[in-house]
Amino acid sequence: MPHPKERPGPWSRSSRRDFLMKSGGAALALSGAAPLLAACSNSTTTSAASSGGEAVGPGGLPLARPDKRVTLPLWRDPIESGLEPETGGEFVVYNYPAYIYGKLLKDFGKKYGVTVKVAPFDDINSGIAKLASGAISPDVTEMTPDNLDRVVAGKLIMPLNLDYIPNLKKNVWPSLADPFYDGGSNYGVPYTVYSTGIAWRTDRVKEDIEGMSNPWDILWQSQAYKGKVAVLSEPRETIAMALLRKGHTDINTEDPKLIDAAVADLQELYDICNVKVGDLQYETIPEDKAWLNQAWSGDMMSGYFYFLPKPSVGPLLRFWNPGYGKGPIQNDMWSICANTKKPVLAHLFLNYMLDNGVAYSNFVNFNGYQPPLTEINPEHEVSKGVIPETLANCILTADDLGEDSLQEMTLTTTGQQLWQNGYSEFLAGA
Amino acid sequence: MYPRWLWPTFAAPGVIWLILLFLVPFYAVIGVAFGSVDPILGFAVPAWNPANWNTGWVTQVLGELAPGGIYWDVAVRTIEYVVISLAGCALIGYPVAYYIARHAGRTKTLLLILLILPFWISYLMRMLAWVNLLAPDGYVNRFLIWSHVLTSPYGFLDGQSSTVIWALIYGYIPYFILPLYASLDRIDRSYLEAARDLGASPFRAFLHITLPLSKTGLLGGAVLIALPMFGDYYTPNIVSGAPTTSMIGNQIDLYFHGGPQPTIGAAITIILSAFLLILMGYYLWTIHKATKELRSI
Repeated sequence: MPHPKERPGPWSRSSRRDFLMKSGGAALALSGAAPLLAACSNSTTTSAASSGGEAVGPGGLPLARPDKRVTLPLWRDPIESGLEPETGGEFVVYNYPAYIYGKLLKDFGKKYGVTVKVAPFDDINSGIAKLASGAISPDVTEMTPDNLDRVVAGKLIMPLNLDYIPNLKKNVWPSLADPFYDGGSNYGVPYTVYSTGIAWRTDRVKEDIEGMSNPWDILWQSQAYKGKVAVLSEPRETIAMALLRKGHTDINTEDPKLIDAAVADLQELYDICNVKVGDLQYETIPEDKAWLNQAWSGDMMSGYFYFLPKPSVGPLLRFWNPGYGKGPIQNDMWSICANTKKPVLAHLFLNYMLDNGVAYSNFVNFNGYQPPLTEINPEHEVSKGVIPETLANCILTADDLGEDSLQEMTLTTTGQQLWQNGYSEFLAGA
Repeated sequence: MYPRWLWPTFAAPGVIWLILLFLVPFYAVIGVAFGSVDPILGFAVPAWNPANWNTGWVTQVLGELAPGGIYWDVAVRTIEYVVISLAGCALIGYPVAYYIARHAGRTKTLLLILLILPFWISYLMRMLAWVNLLAPDGYVNRFLIWSHVLTSPYGFLDGQSSTVIWALIYGYIPYFILPLYASLDRIDRSYLEAARDLGASPFRAFLHITLPLSKTGLLGGAVLIALPMFGDYYTPNIVSGAPTTSMIGNQIDLYFHGGPQPTIGAAITIILSAFLLILMGYYLWTIHKATKELRSI
């Protein structure tokens, strides 16, 4: 099996079909030709992706898991080292709305003589769809590890030259400087990291959630908080929570029986608490519009930093996550768009966002979602008075990631359909 | 004498507009519903040629829309919400339109301006304003507590069907009143005078003259608001957020917004459109019938 870097290039002149047919060598060798051929055809089927005994993602590449490292093949050579950054004109950052500190972008633009603009997308899936359609040509894009397979196979992002990004090795947790889902960081660098758990207000929710034998149960015991309970409006997170509650730690399962059972459990929440779905818990909990939510760790940090209606609410906020190997931990990334006209500057932007000062400022002055920097630790942030001790568990450390950590990763196309249909059933409210 | 092509030319901009901004996009949705999905990136690949249509997605959705299917309850709930909202719009909107058309006198222009005023503010903004008004510490709850109607805040935003229905009524009622007003305003008053001269009470005159003659306005307003209401997903999202109050539009949103099955979103859309065509057909038939009756007088 040839190493991806040993395959003949350049890839830039080949089509996606060529890429998959000729150059997905590693994937082909690992998983058999059928899924890639299916991916290359104009077949109307959307079924994916498992053959030869090993499942592959929509892009035909092996499925990365915390205990199964994947190195993504290079579809073209990275840019040469030592080039001067491009200057002038616009530099477009493709990202969730309000997910990066505007001042930092201005500073970057000033430093390199460009006007930095943010092109927002609603969610990563619609963002990728728009990117793939060619309707937008940003320079860098926010990305998630579970989507790497398809954006690499679709040639939407370009390989990185890490010579331009020294901050990756210097400042970032080792597990994310060379992550299992992108061995060698061929296509992206981490941006933020967060865990999934439960957020609540202690003036409204009286139970000792952290002391419960299975804290996820609180959502199924929340009759008293009817109308004030919500789960995330994310198919993966919502169903994964129901799986974890029942002790199933394979949150990338494609077993229809497990998914069906998880959906049935979620449907119990209609009668228990008339559960809501939404991703505004960083705002609704501090503002007392919601009392008990499935939430990301970054939400309570944002809520504490920016959405307290009065300071006295701060000490009321709490967050619980299951901890290493028991609950989801995710990270977002930055990647460089394949069509950028400013590839060198794009590399420098990735490096800039991993600068200790810049990343920390983005965290505490705007975003609330922490960067995976080795210099950030909960004790330090509490002692500095940045966050209260009651929210110290919102800050993660390098020890929260490892081979046993639970991360929602790429599914086969069939698996994605299964999860989406399950969530659709939950959302139907019947 | 004008050339024959002159007057049809006046319709050209409208026809081009309709083709470019309605027919082509709608055919694209049909193409997606009968098409496939890019196996790698998951975006829709429309089947433009009907000979290549894959009917699998549409039949799958039709199956799920049947009793016991995933979409059955949400479809029934959507119909309930829309029917109740239409009834609410008629109950509130008819007296308003009637008053403006018949009794507003000098204030007619002012009232019409007030009626058009909501169009100046986006629907989304108006809904968000209600979120603040209906919040536990919002003005509505404060007023109800101040006036001793309530002792503690009512959870208007806690996933209530009634809140979604009221929001739909509030959001769409201006679109209902305007065509109804136009229809009532056009009614020849001599019909009413004739009815009264022949001994009909004001109520009987209304029942046998005004109401039948405003039927096209009522239906026009109903069709105008029913069509967007059926596809609405942001109103339940904003004022409720609970799956138990979701509408079929939320399912379309889910499938179109991401994931490997935009084809399902398109299939739901065209089935919904086919259903709405029945309503539209009834409206057009009524208009046709009314026009025919008028010509025969």
